[in-house]
Formats: sequence, C-alpha cells, structure tokens
Amino acid sequence: MAGEVNRRDFLSTLGVSVGAALTASAGSVIPSVGVAHAQDKPKGNIPDTPYKIGHMTFFTGPAAVLGEPMYKGQLLAAEEINAAGGLLGKRKIEILKADEAAGTDANVKELRRLKLSEKIDFFCGITSSGNTPALGPVAEELKCLTIFVDGCTDFLWDKAVPNPHYIFRITNMQSADGVTCAVAVAQTWPKIRKVAHIHPDYSYGRNAFDHFGIVMKKLLPHTEVVSEGWPKLGTTDFSSHITKAISSKPDLVVSSVWGGDYVAMYKQALRYGMFQKAKFASMIAFGVAPHAIGKDHPEGVIAGVHSNYHFTYPDGDRWPYNKSFVEKYHKRFNEYPNFQAEGGYTATYILKTAIEKANHLTGGWPEDDAVIAMLEGQMIAGPAGYVYIRPDNHQGYKDAVTGFSKNVADYPFPILDPARIITIPIRNITAPPGWPKGEPTSTYTWIDKTWPVAKV
Amino acid sequence: MSTPAVTASANAREAGSVRTVLRWAVPVAVLLLVVPWIVPPYTAILLTYGLVMAIGALGFNLLLGYTGLLSFGHSAYFGVGAYVVALMVKYLGVGSMELFLFGAIIGSVIVTAVFGWVCVRYTRIFFSILTLALSQVLWSLAFKFFWVTGGTDGLRVPTPSLLVGLVTGQGDKTDFMSHAYYHYVLVVFFAAVALMWVIVNSPFGKALQAIRDNETRAEFVGVQIWRYRFVAFLVSGVFTGLAGALWVPLNGLTTPDIIHWSFSGEIVFMTVLGGFRSFAGPIVGAVVFNYLKTYAVGYTVYWQLLLGAVLVALVLSLPTGIVGTAGRLAARWKKVS
Repeated sequence: MAGEVNRRDFLSTLGVSVGAALTASAGSVIPSVGVAHAQDKPKGNIPDTPYKIGHMTFFTGPAAVLGEPMYKGQLLAAEEINAAGGLLGKRKIEILKADEAAGTDANVKELRRLKLSEKIDFFCGITSSGNTPALGPVAEELKCLTIFVDGCTDFLWDKAVPNPHYIFRITNMQSADGVTCAVAVAQTWPKIRKVAHIHPDYSYGRNAFDHFGIVMKKLLPHTEVVSEGWPKLGTTDFSSHITKAISSKPDLVVSSVWGGDYVAMYKQALRYGMFQKAKFASMIAFGVAPHAIGKDHPEGVIAGVHSNYHFTYPDGDRWPYNKSFVEKYHKRFNEYPNFQAEGGYTATYILKTAIEKANHLTGGWPEDDAVIAMLEGQMIAGPAGYVYIRPDNHQGYKDAVTGFSKNVADYPFPILDPARIITIPIRNITAPPGWPKGEPTSTYTWIDKTWPVAKV
Repeated sequence: MSTPAVTASANAREAGSVRTVLRWAVPVAVLLLVVPWIVPPYTAILLTYGLVMAIGALGFNLLLGYTGLLSFGHSAYFGVGAYVVALMVKYLGVGSMELFLFGAIIGSVIVTAVFGWVCVRYTRIFFSILTLALSQVLWSLAFKFFWVTGGTDGLRVPTPSLLVGLVTGQGDKTDFMSHAYYHYVLVVFFAAVALMWVIVNSPFGKALQAIRDNETRAEFVGVQIWRYRFVAFLVSGVFTGLAGALWVPLNGLTTPDIIHWSFSGEIVFMTVLGGFRSFAGPIVGAVVFNYLKTYAVGYTVYWQLLLGAVLVALVLSLPTGIVGTAGRLAARWKKVS
C-alpha cells in the first residue's frame, strides 16, 4: 500500500472503535478462565505431587506497584484451581516467589535455582522488558516450560529467541503500546503540531518512542518532535524533564513512564501545570495497580493500560469473565486488578487448558512437549477478551485497549471513561506471521512499508 | 644487610610456609576437581560463579589488602572483560573461549592503564571517588550507546567452544556448564591463584605492602610509589577483567548492571566478607557471598535487608572477615590443646 489516503478512512480500516461493542460471541469450543463449568474427567493415572510454579516479579522497589499484581492474579487462579482439586483434579499448584528487583544477573541464577534445585514444573511472571531477553534463553536451555506475563519487548522474539520452544508470553507485544497510543492521539487530537516526549531511558521507552513516531509519520505527518526527555528508570525527580517539555511549548506531551515512576511524575507535573499547558497521552499511565493513582490525576488525558486491559472493560454484563474476575480479585485482595493481574490469571488458565487438552490426547500427566503443542495456537476467553497464542512466535495477542482518564463516584481513583474506550483489533497494528525480522522491530518496518501516509 | 645465616633461616621459614600452604591447598584443589561428580549440577554451576568472582575479588584485593587502596570502580574492569567478549561475538563472530580471554586481557589492560594513570596519583577517599566516577562513565557509555552495546537489553553471548574447539557446548547446556565449563574455570582459577600468590610474595608484593603500611618510609627506602601503585592497579584490573570474561558465558548475556557502581560494592562486600587481610579471604568471601545472595534472593523478598544486616554484623563483630576469624579461632584452639 502506498500513496495518500484520508486519515479518517484509514482509521476506520484499522477497526479503531470508541466505546466499542464486542465483535464476536463466545462459541462453545473456546475455553475460558474459571473452573465453574463441568470438566472432563482426566484420562489415565495422574500423580498427586504438587505442581510447582516459580513466579518472579517485582516485589520490591517502585516497579512493584505495577508488577506485583501479576503474582496476585496467578495466586487467585491457583487457589481456584486447587479448590477444585488441582490440575487434572489431582495436582495442587504451589507457587514459589522470587524478586525480580534483584537484577538481571541474580535473576538468571534464580531461574536456574528454581528449575535445577527446586525442580519447578513451570516458570511464570516477569515485568521488565530488560529481563525477558536474559531469562528467555536460559529457560530454553533449562527446558523449562515458561509463560512470561509481561516483559513484552519485541526484541525477545525478533532477536533473543527467534525460534522459541519452551517459552511463551501472554500480554501484548510492546510495539502495540506505542502504536495504540499514537492511533488514539491521531483519532482524538488530529490538529496537534508539536509533540514533546518523556520516556524512561531504556528499551521500553525507546520502543514506545519509535512506534509512536512511525505512526505519527503515517497518520499525522505534519507533526514534529519538539523535545525529548529520557529520565532514568526508577528515578523520582522529573522536574528537569517536565520543565524541558513545557518550555518547548508542545501541543502534546507523550510519556511511557510507568509504575511508581509515573505516580511521582504526574504529581510533579501537576505542580508545574503541565496538564493545562498541553494535552497528555501515555502508553501505560493506568498500568499500575488502580489504587496507586489519586483523584488528583488529570481527567481527559489518554491514560494507556499497556494496550492490554483495564478492569472496567469489557464491562460486566457484556463480558461476565471480567465481571467475575474483578469481583473475586477484589474480594481476595481488597483492591482492583491491573493488566498484570489479568495476565497472571489468564496465563494460569491457558496453561490449565493446555494441560487438560494434552491429557485428553495422551492420557496420564502430559509431557511438556504435548502441553506446548496445545499452547501453540490456543485461544482462551479471559477477563480482557480473547487471547490467542500465535504458534510461530509463542506470543499472546489480544485486541489493544486504551482510553481517557475520568473520575467517577464508584471508585476512589480515576478509571478509563467507560463511554470512550478505544479498542483496536491487534492484527491491524502488529506485524503478521512471517513478516521478516526488522530494525528496530518487525512491526516498525511493517508499518513503515505498508501503512499509507494520511492526507492533512 | 643480610648475613648468610639470616638468609638461610628466612629460606627455611619460606619453605615451611610453602609447605603449610600446600597442606591446605592440595586437598582443597582435589576436592574442587571432583565437585561436579558429587554435587547436583546446580550447585556446581553456582560454584562456578563463585570461582569466577573469586578471581575478580583476588585482583581487587591486591589493591585493597596489599596496597591499601580502596577501589570503588572495579565493576568497570569486570564489565570491560564481559563487554569485550560480547562485542567480539557481535562484530567478529568469534566463539572460542581462549580468544575471549585473550581479548578480555588486552581490553582490560588498555582500560586499566588509562584509568590507573589517572587514579593512582591519589589515595584514600579521593582514589575511591575517582575510580567510582570513572566506572560510572563506562556504565553510562554501555547504557547510552545502545546501538553498539544493546543498552539495557545487553548483548547475548552464546555457549563458547573450549580448548580451541575441542569441547563445544552443543549438547545440554546445564551439563556443559556444570562439567566442562566448571573445570575450565577451575583451571583458570588455579592459575590465577598461583600467579597472585607469586606476585604478593615477590619483592614487588612486599614493596606494595610497604607502601600500604608507610608511604613515606617506602619512598625513603627507594620504592617508586607511583609506578608500583600503577602496576598493582593494572594487575588488579586485568584479574577482574578476566573474571568478567569468564562470567559472560555463565550468564549468557551482559548488561550495564555489571558496570554499575553497586556491582563494585558487591566486590568490596565479598572481599570484606572473606577478610581483606589474608590471601584466601577474597576467595572464600566471593564463594560465600555468591551463595548468600542467591539464597537470600530465593528465599525472601527482604533479601536486601538480609544482606545489609550481614554487612553490619560483619563490620561490627568480624572485622577480619571469615578467614581472619577462622584463623584466630584455630590459633586459640591450638593454644588450648
């Protein structure tokens, strides 16, 4: 595709919808989360030894407010499964925790310890995109069945492990984050001209910056980048970056700062009146545990959820899987889930589904290879909607979500405005299977080569 | 002036001390050689990490224990070793461990020569701050030049081939790490220990200790302080660089984390833990610290608290470290019996 098209027409071909209705209804063949429905009786002899899961995420530091909920999501699923007898009705799940904040080197050792010394059956978790490229190859070496919840860098499949066997990943690919945010901006504020960026200075920030930029080049080609700020990950002082952004007089400030860092940043930005001086769009502002954001957070800004999930969408009666998940999670932990919690929960159920299917075929406790074969191409209805594991790269795909911050009476923190949720079919914003590996990512080159430039 | 009688008695003492050392060293060496067959693979891999860090800490202690200079920038040389290997893989497609070690030595000689030239003019806190600052410069280079260094993603290093391609790691990686690679590291470790033993017991090593104990007197005796410190710095950095090169294949990836000053802090921790006043201190400290951190991280999310508590307890109650304290206890036991 080349040449110029009308922006609005192109956005509609992307299937971007606001306040979206669900497009498909759940067929009986698609498995779902939860253990309420009747299970087939497992075939053959199942041992009753515990099924050990090693779960690594941030339990300490500023990243914990975003990362720790993935452990809670998995714990909730495990407790539900155990209450119903365990995996295949026999094997109770036991979770061993490990702190991701120990650093890449210690994390690699810890994964080895979990597999070789604790003999875990399955490894799960990981928040930082700096850690999956380190742990992915080690999990492959150890032949350790793994589903990463996050750590969603494209680099993992593009370069670090181009042909995965044992490792999978459940939440959306990182490139979808920058693209979703940029598409939302193009749709909401097409008249902006000057864009200032504040991103954490590591691979995630650069990935968000690159993909936001390539979409801008296509959809809003008249925009220019007037300022770039690269605060260090884990920093608490954003003043210089905020003032630098403001002084460039932008129409829009874009940021992928996340977790506790983002909480610190928006509070400081309030003091400088940044949100009055420019529009604001974030890839991941509401990715943290919802209660971490205060009612002082500006309203009407694009508050991304890592393009994955916000607990208010899809709303209750239209998508009961979400309603029941949010209720159970709130009851168990007295807080609301974030996208990581959903990821940990869904990862556990997609594993359970694959184990059941493999058992159905092979009988007894299935070999890892049988479970892997079942996971490849597996689709499951989770709280966020359908998640599909692509067989070629073992990556989970679900429709991307973002929205606008809004304070409502029902919650003590802002949520995504239920009337203005933006969803985009994931296949329209990520490179398809077979697309050649590219620099910086496959999705980047795919957008660059196949998206038309919109007319002003 | 030494009379023949004094020299003879010194020689006898020397021979005696060598014999004592060998009485310890030989059984330990034999035990280390057979370790992979008697412990589970994971323990052997963890010990490999420990031995690698022991080489680094041994180098570090040449400055701290023998020359009296506290470097807070040894992460830089460790990082140079690791990144030289990773860049050799990325740009030259090299896969041989011997070439890696060779490259890492050349790389760390160059970097330590430059850094040492700047740093050894100063002592005490000024020296420590300078080494720290320079290591942070390297850290930010590794961090910022991501198109070369991979930034925070780091650079991957595949399993190397050992002994000019005689042993390849094509099969099971865990098996390779816990046997072939373990023994490879062990041999390098033995060589490093022997070399360091010779260095610290040579006239050069004695001169360093003289500088440490009294700089002014050493200068009066005719020791060229600046030059001696520089050479000690160089040797120290190269040992740590060698450790960095041996560490990369274990981790499979090198990231800027290992150049950050906090990693220098770990090297200091190891040495203090083992005892910087003794030759074996850093070796024991590195191995113990490696187990300590790994199990602390594995068993509690309060691992930082635990490590901090150990450090405080160490400084307060065991200032001479594990080896120093063990030595004192042994001496007391000998006196009693």
